[in-house]
Amino acid sequence: MKRTQFSLGFIVRRSMVHRRVRSLAALLALTVSAAVATTLLTLYVSLNRQLHQQFRAFGANIVLTAPDGSTLPSETLATVRAIAGSESRIVPFAYAVAQTADGAPIVVAGTDFNAARAMDSWWQVSRWPNAAAATPGSPVAAMVGTRAQGFLHGDDFPLTYNGHTLALHTEATLRTGAAEDSRIFIPLAAFTAWTGQSASTLEIQAPGSAAQVEDLLHRLRAALPGVQVHAVRQLVESEGRIVDRTRSLMLSSLVLIALTVGICVLATLTASVLERRRDFAIMKALGSTQHQVALLFLLEAALLALAGAAAGYLLGSLCAFGIGAWNFHATIPPLWQAAPAVLLLNLFVALLAAGLPMRILRTMEPATLLRGE
Amino acid sequence: MATILQSAVGSEALIHLHGLTREYASRAGAVRALDQVTLTIERGEWVAVMGPSGSGKSTLVNILGCLDQPTHGSVRIAGTDVHQLSRQELDRFRAETIGFIFQQFHLIPYLTALENILLAQYFHSMTDEDEARRALASVGLGDRATHLPSQLSGGEQQRVCIARALINQPPILLADEPTGNLDAANQEIVQEHLRTLHRAGHTIVMVTHDPEMASLADRTVELHHGRIAAERRADLTAQK
Ligand SMILES: Nc1ncnc2c1ncn2[C@@H]1O[C@H](COP(=O)(O)OP(=O)(O)OP(=O)(O)O)[C@@H](O)[C@H]1O
Ligand SMILES: [Mg+2]
Repeated sequence: MKRTQFSLGFIVRRSMVHRRVRSLAALLALTVSAAVATTLLTLYVSLNRQLHQQFRAFGANIVLTAPDGSTLPSETLATVRAIAGSESRIVPFAYAVAQTADGAPIVVAGTDFNAARAMDSWWQVSRWPNAAAATPGSPVAAMVGTRAQGFLHGDDFPLTYNGHTLALHTEATLRTGAAEDSRIFIPLAAFTAWTGQSASTLEIQAPGSAAQVEDLLHRLRAALPGVQVHAVRQLVESEGRIVDRTRSLMLSSLVLIALTVGICVLATLTASVLERRRDFAIMKALGSTQHQVALLFLLEAALLALAGAAAGYLLGSLCAFGIGAWNFHATIPPLWQAAPAVLLLNLFVALLAAGLPMRILRTMEPATLLRGE
Repeated sequence: MATILQSAVGSEALIHLHGLTREYASRAGAVRALDQVTLTIERGEWVAVMGPSGSGKSTLVNILGCLDQPTHGSVRIAGTDVHQLSRQELDRFRAETIGFIFQQFHLIPYLTALENILLAQYFHSMTDEDEARRALASVGLGDRATHLPSQLSGGEQQRVCIARALINQPPILLADEPTGNLDAANQEIVQEHLRTLHRAGHTIVMVTHDPEMASLADRTVELHHGRIAAERRADLTAQK
């Protein structure tokens, strides 16, 4: 053993190894607290996110339409994108009534397939067409509603609008159970080239609470005076209310559980420090300063907190994953942000648990402590 | 004349206890462990404290070592009223001035014999392992350096405690029955340590039940029910 080895760290190590049952109990308490906090935090954040994603599946919550028979000014999309922010999804739609080869009228819609796919992920589509893969000269890729299919003969078919005939090819079929089923969807660019018409409707899916969506609605109205801006109101309100209520429920149980665990840890660690009051008094008698003894106890608490946080984070992430898989059929990945949060929480509880008895011991005479009361 | 003597720190007695009373409140009523004890100890003096069990000897030594506070009365050590010191100053004061040999040894259970001595060095100034080993060897425990207190006999623990108290060469050594658990040979070793310390000018306050140990001291103070019942000077009885 070398001289330099004798330090507060050395004393702490010896104390922890010697009192290994006690140390393990404290470590266990701190691991459990960290695991519980990690699990709850991960579940909270992840479920919160998924809750939003699930509600998003219901589609747009704001719809912009041009006045009857007209189209939206060309800069509308850019304006809306600037106001609604990058978090919002925007899908343009243009509509026209064309004729099949039999002369039957059918509604053709031009849209942005990628955007529609993101917003209306609940649409049952056999295979979303890739608008980018279109080659000039070949038939236009179309997504055909299941009811519209009955008016067509085969996968390749022509449609006529205003005397212009367009060759189309059925790339995909679509079923929504609503009006979309009797429509034919083609890329907006091809639609505009064919009919000379641009988008008349923008569907917007904005995230956030009911109040935030309401606010966005007002701003859109103010910025686009000639355009009709509607909320898909029912959805907006219920989404906000359910998300808010679920979130506050999760938050309050998180706080409650954390408090309970925190108190248990506090009790365990406080007892662990108090039972060493004789050591404390001996060191005082040997001339240690209050600082040195305090550091000794705090160092030990911090070490336990650190180890507990690391073990608890792993355990908690695993738990969250398990809970997600078993109960929600969702993949809940580890939340790295939980690691520093849990470490801080553990350190706070551990240092409090060591610091409080230190303050009590400090006010007592060493002689009293040495008597072992 | 008296005021001049008292203000000159160098000539003042090292320890002044005045009207020292220590009461313990308990459910059965207050216990008065010390009752109006007034005692002066000169620099370099070796004082033995004797008296029956429960007469307040340990209480007196604890108060002297600033490990306990009197209910009434004052403690002046080296011109300092101990009561006036802040807790931090008291910590420093203890580290620099006082060495303890406890009646119950009070070794740190998870540190070895050697490390218990290193601990005292560490809190005092800096550790010196060679010196600590020599101290252990000087109480006949050179081969037990790596043993934990629980692996040592009572007498061996007591000797570690003595080596620990002496390692920093404290100006004041407080020894509560330093030879209570020792055989004749080890008692002789400890006596020799104390004599050497005394010759070097250190002040020793020693509690003992053993008249032979007490005879080594310059003065013996006899406590009874927390009061000083008798005082004897060795030089008066032994020399003339
Ligand atoms: N913390 C305490 N609470 C109550 N009573 C106490 C306390 N400490 C000491 N006493 C009482 O004070 C008296 C003196 O105790 P002290 O330990 O000073 O005796 P002592 O002379 O050292 O005895 P011994 O020779 O047995 O060690 C005893 O009656 C004891 O019971
Ligand atoms: Mg005693």
